[in-house]
Amino acid sequence: MARLNLWRWGVLGLAGLYFLVPLAASVVFTVDVPGQGLTFDAYTQIFATDGFVSSLLLSLELALATIAVVLLLMVPAMVALRLGAPRLRPVVEVVCSLPLVVPPIAFVAGIGTVLKWGPDHLSRTPLFETFVAIQNPDFPFVLALAYVVMALPFVHRALDAGLRAVDVRTLVEAARSCGAGWPQALVQAVLSNLRGALLNASFLTLALVLGEFTVAQLLGFRPFAVWIVNVSGSQAQLSVAVSVLSLLVTWVLLLVLAGFGGRTRPTSRG
Amino acid sequence: MPETAATVEFRGLRREFGPTVALDGLDLSARPGELLALLGPSGCGKTTALRMLAGFEHPDSGEVLVDGEDVTRVPAHRRDAGMVFQSYSLFPHLDTLDNVAFGLRMRKVRTAERRARAAELLDLVGLADKGGRFPHQLSGGQQQRVALARALALRPRVLLLDEPLSALDAKVRLSLREEIRRLQQELGITTLFVTHDQEEALSMADRVAVMHAGRLEQCAPPSELYGRPATPFVAEFVGTMSRIPGRLAQGTVDVLGQRLPVDGPVPSATEVDVLVRPEAVRVRAEADGKSRVVATSFLGAAVRVTVRLADGIEVKADLAAHEAAELTAGAVVSVSLPERPVLVAERTR
Amino acid sequence: MTATAVRVDTAPAARTKRRRRSLGWVAVLPLLAFVAVAFGLPAIAMLDGAFTAKDPATGATSYTLDNLTTSLKGAYLTALLGSVKLSAVSAALGTLVGLPLAQAVVSSRFRALREAVLTASGVLANFGGVPLAFAFVATLGNAGVLTRHFGLTDKGWDLYSFWGLVIVYLYFLIPLMVLTITPALDGLRVQWREAAQNNGATALQYWRFVALPVLLPTLLGGFVLLFGSAFAAYATAAAMVGSSIPLVTLQIADAISGNVLVGQENVALALSLDMVLVAGLVMAVYLPLQRRSARWLA
Repeated sequence: MARLNLWRWGVLGLAGLYFLVPLAASVVFTVDVPGQGLTFDAYTQIFATDGFVSSLLLSLELALATIAVVLLLMVPAMVALRLGAPRLRPVVEVVCSLPLVVPPIAFVAGIGTVLKWGPDHLSRTPLFETFVAIQNPDFPFVLALAYVVMALPFVHRALDAGLRAVDVRTLVEAARSCGAGWPQALVQAVLSNLRGALLNASFLTLALVLGEFTVAQLLGFRPFAVWIVNVSGSQAQLSVAVSVLSLLVTWVLLLVLAGFGGRTRPTSRG
Repeated sequence: MPETAATVEFRGLRREFGPTVALDGLDLSARPGELLALLGPSGCGKTTALRMLAGFEHPDSGEVLVDGEDVTRVPAHRRDAGMVFQSYSLFPHLDTLDNVAFGLRMRKVRTAERRARAAELLDLVGLADKGGRFPHQLSGGQQQRVALARALALRPRVLLLDEPLSALDAKVRLSLREEIRRLQQELGITTLFVTHDQEEALSMADRVAVMHAGRLEQCAPPSELYGRPATPFVAEFVGTMSRIPGRLAQGTVDVLGQRLPVDGPVPSATEVDVLVRPEAVRVRAEADGKSRVVATSFLGAAVRVTVRLADGIEVKADLAAHEAAELTAGAVVSVSLPERPVLVAERTR
Repeated sequence: MTATAVRVDTAPAARTKRRRRSLGWVAVLPLLAFVAVAFGLPAIAMLDGAFTAKDPATGATSYTLDNLTTSLKGAYLTALLGSVKLSAVSAALGTLVGLPLAQAVVSSRFRALREAVLTASGVLANFGGVPLAFAFVATLGNAGVLTRHFGLTDKGWDLYSFWGLVIVYLYFLIPLMVLTITPALDGLRVQWREAAQNNGATALQYWRFVALPVLLPTLLGGFVLLFGSAFAAYATAAAMVGSSIPLVTLQIADAISGNVLVGQENVALALSLDMVLVAGLVMAVYLPLQRRSARWLA
């Protein structure tokens, strides 16, 4: 027994070391600058640095748009599958897993090619306007579209787990038999029971968008993650500080979410 | 198979899990070649006792002896006791034959030899044709047969059955019950069988040990357990019992206007309950009777009549169908007991 | 439940059912249409581009296999193989380290530890990317805290080498493995361990003959998943500028942005197609393994 415990704590200790040292070292790196001694400049400068606020805002806006679109597409589809179209279920499952087979870098290569069709082939059609509009650098909606695709597997998994825990059909029928209309039954009976799953899906999407680098960089836009990399050349301390902060914030948010979801989890595992 | 069957003995076993006492000084022994059922409500410590014999649990104090030899400190994998678990114990990645042969493989028996032996065992449990199947391809009853064959593969001195039938449906349970008993008698292997189902225990076992709160209440053959329960707990746990208020006086008890001798220990109180089996209660239609039939239910050969006595106590009686014909709900009756010693218990109400 | 309802009350139930089915289509259609456009168009463009060559003089396009053959030659092939090697090595190490770590977490009595580790794994496995790269640059890079403190550069340490990248990749691969294998470890039944002991198996024999074989599909599936994840990773490698390891993702990025040679876009698309094929292969191996382990450990 004692030997077993020793083994377990050894493994956990080593893992803790490997996972915590880089975080701790990053903090040290940002506050202990060679030649300057202990300084918190890296943190105090963050807000004043050119591009921080605008890139973060851009990322948040993109995240909101992505969450809105992905939920509007997925929630009705997933609920409908539970209610009355079981034969479409494998179709949706495959469709939502497709992005896993196409790495982001390959996906962005494809997107870039499509976007080039605009000037090449469509310059005389009204579609061209659309192509220009979604590439507006102030709010590149094309990124949101790409992120929706990339979020599909996560969102599908989260919603599927949530829906598995509630018997949608019985809920709707119960609400209907109590005199609720279809929309009312759906909204009140189903969505309120899905709150945890929706929160989960939204958060995963938020984290995905905030950290996304590949697509944004290669399409030439400058949201948060791209900004960090760009600024790292001139201000190494600052970029590390922002990285550590963003990791920690994501972490805390997920822990909070785990606390929320803790109550529903056993039933969904059921 | 073992030439001479083993004895098993628990001596003063004690085990606490935090605040709960699972075993509170258990003394019990199994005779060579007998099937001993451990019966009791959940949490009475019967499974803990069995797991101590298998080596999965260790007593805080007390010892476990097999053939007079103390095995308390022997690790589980050297215990020489084959165990059948409640369910889901077959290795999912091995086919039936390899599951049965697993123990022989651990003993480094050659492949051909262990396969032959495993096939023999599968034949013994009636699954000779299922050797290549995987556990998920078998029904629950078949899985438990394979588990039984696996438990016997190493020719253990003791066979341990931990509620092996409780996850099966009623019909399979009955047939497997008979099969286990047949096999056990054929092999003459000392067997401990844990169950919470009294019917199972009474129908299969040579002797039944009734446990309650970590202690042994009584260990006796089924007929004795039913007919002469040693304690009120046994009386009420095994079979149906009615309590009729009575009054103790010099070793006899006044009940239902009769004076009957007391069987077994006599409580110190004078206000007692007399414990009676339904088949020992006589009910007669009588115009000036003080009792009234409340309900009847048809059980096949007998009819169970529930009678409310004058003081509101309800008593159950089993009557032959022809006797019960006129006793419908509401009938006025008189209740009496046969002139035999009766079991009494302190009044709990 | 529905079956009985239909039988009892055929006509209205059938109507409801039909309405439900059409409702199902109406609700699923926008999703399918969206994926067809936002995912299908780029995919088709990639496929089309990978097989298209443009004559620089005339501007005429023609279908060809040249891009694909180019993508499997020279520097491109080196990058592809570099990616495969890096992914295979890190996935193997991630699997080897992830299993005991997950077992230590699963067998722990502290629920809080379990929750914390699993949540942390969720963060690290999916959202490493840029922050992860910078954390390692700050720790083990040329000016990193540990590098300076222990003088690692003099001892031959270089974060921007093959093993440096492996160490960085493990930071998100090990958590991914922990996430993958934890449900399987939870699915190992106590009865199996006890039945094995009861049949004379020591603890070591239990792991060798029962636990590991039962976990094998999950472990292989996890390895494949880790491989795919490492293979597709771009942000981490890209943020660690200065890395001299040739990787296919970096090659694609260079070709797209025309960093190396102009007019290599179609080769980038062919490389992308190579990647999709590898990722598809990964999925084709992973899914059956996943199904088998689900059947064993349900």
